[in-house]
Amino acid sequence: MIRSLADISKLAREKGPKKIAVLAPEDEEFMLAVKKSWELGYIEPVLIGNIKKIEAAAEKVAFNIGPFQKISGDEHQGISDLGIRMLFSGEAPIAGKGQIPTSYIYRSIIREEAKAGSGMTVSVVTFWEVPGIDHLVAFTDTGVNIKPDLKAKGEIIKNAVFVYHLLGYPRPKIAVLSGQREVGGKLASYEDYEALQKAADAGDFGACEIAAATSFTDIFLGDRDRRVDYGNINSEEMPHILLVPSLDTGNIICKLDFFLDVNRSSLVATSRGPVCIPARSDFNDNIVQQIAMSVVLADRMGKEVQ
Amino acid sequence: MLSSFKEILAAAKQSGVKKLVVPCPVAADLPLLAEAAAAGLVIPILIGAGSSLELLVNGSPLAAGKCEIVDENDPGKVLGRALALVRDGEADILMQGGASPQELLDALRDKEQGLLPKGGVISFVSIFQLLKREKLILVTDTFINNNPPLVEKQKILENALQLARMLGIEAPKVAVLAAIEQVNPGIPSTLDAAILSKMGERRQFGKAIVEGPLDIDCALSQVAAGRKGLQSVVTGNVDIYLVPEIDTGHLLAEALVFFGKMQTVGIVMGTSKPVILNLPFISDENRRVEIALACLACLKGGING
Repeated sequence: MIRSLADISKLAREKGPKKIAVLAPEDEEFMLAVKKSWELGYIEPVLIGNIKKIEAAAEKVAFNIGPFQKISGDEHQGISDLGIRMLFSGEAPIAGKGQIPTSYIYRSIIREEAKAGSGMTVSVVTFWEVPGIDHLVAFTDTGVNIKPDLKAKGEIIKNAVFVYHLLGYPRPKIAVLSGQREVGGKLASYEDYEALQKAADAGDFGACEIAAATSFTDIFLGDRDRRVDYGNINSEEMPHILLVPSLDTGNIICKLDFFLDVNRSSLVATSRGPVCIPARSDFNDNIVQQIAMSVVLADRMGKEVQ
Repeated sequence: MLSSFKEILAAAKQSGVKKLVVPCPVAADLPLLAEAAAAGLVIPILIGAGSSLELLVNGSPLAAGKCEIVDENDPGKVLGRALALVRDGEADILMQGGASPQELLDALRDKEQGLLPKGGVISFVSIFQLLKREKLILVTDTFINNNPPLVEKQKILENALQLARMLGIEAPKVAVLAAIEQVNPGIPSTLDAAILSKMGERRQFGKAIVEGPLDIDCALSQVAAGRKGLQSVVTGNVDIYLVPEIDTGHLLAEALVFFGKMQTVGIVMGTSKPVILNLPFISDENRRVEIALACLACLKGGING
């Protein structure tokens, strides 16, 4: 069972290098992350984008990209389509985002999933490594679905459960998050929780369970004294997967690593392999970590497919 | 400028004793009230069945003589009497006590008997104390409004600005949060944020800098914002975070408490007199700060006018 990002780094070294189609690494920070990941033995990059910009970024970080395959592309959608097609055609087991808006990549993935007839909903899983919690915690969907309906939430859960099974968690616990509290009537997000819990009990999402908790107060305080005590914050009941009600909620909370003592790592698990999707504002060490996560997932997905 | 809870407590001690009314107080309120009374912040007025209240007080650290008891045997009338005392100026602050939050909110919004001025919106502002530097940040709305339309978000922002100014932040910097920093017609929160930002630019919020839409990374880090091509004095130094709706607001406040271990207090805004709620993610110690904050809010030019 993979419990930490250190486990991921160790495994990425063992299982790499894996070929990764890197989309528009035209920024120093991304290029530095590619360089470090290659030096660590995680990846063998295929660099796609504006060659001049790629070369300039590589030069700035003293990275000799001579030995690597480079594919020229000039506009965002074209670059994204090229890289994601490599993933779906099996030419590369991983695709990774550079300095390109994520929406182009989601569009490419959605098209390729449709072509492949996988029926898979595209969603983003964002892991947090939190001090004091003995497993990775994942928020989902933090990137694609703006306001998922009940059906879409079911698909998002399935995707995240699939990822956790790959990470070695046989029966991940899920919290369906909601802003439900003692005022304002029943929220749509809470109604979805009730419906999803029934669906999970009926086995609709495979081996997993939905916790009787929809808020962090429920998760951390449970049925105990309903009053926070900073000297005694108990995270023993922390679920593995936290389903967020909307893109606004997911994105705003999952990127609190800019503020809190947590490490973040995001990916999209497509039907053909992981897509590493760091935020455009992420720094190189964080991007390296996210690449490592994709390498490990790619390795395990490869075995699963076999 | 007040930049820590300690400073709020100290400032409140200079504000004079206020009368704080509690409908149907619960046992857990009494040590808190005793402490606030001993600190010279408030004189508690407890409303409920007199004999039960006397028993409650006698078995508590709140010494008789340090509080007033208003005898009301009809439980259906207790909250109304508490509101009347505040509305008529016989008390300064209303605390939730044994009322349910919804019951209290409905009473506050009542056109005849409530504390909501015409055209106002009641909202809740959570104040967090930063861990690494002396600064208070405001997050709103974290408890009351589910899915406020733009016109209500405007009021919610005005409420928060009033509180920020009371804390001494002369020109508050506001991040109107959304999932992304670009205006995207498919994401309604980005449209509302852009409009509020434009209203700010036209000085419709007075002396304040309103930036939106901002995603949280741009709001929290000037470097991160720079990498996305966004230059603003707001990024990396936000005073007020305005969230798009309650799922985000409530969960964000809880995340900062439980994952970030950040100290927090809160206050109801938009009412004509300060109101204190009882929320589980506010610690016993910080409930003292909430009373102090309410005392400051009573002052002329305070948060509730």
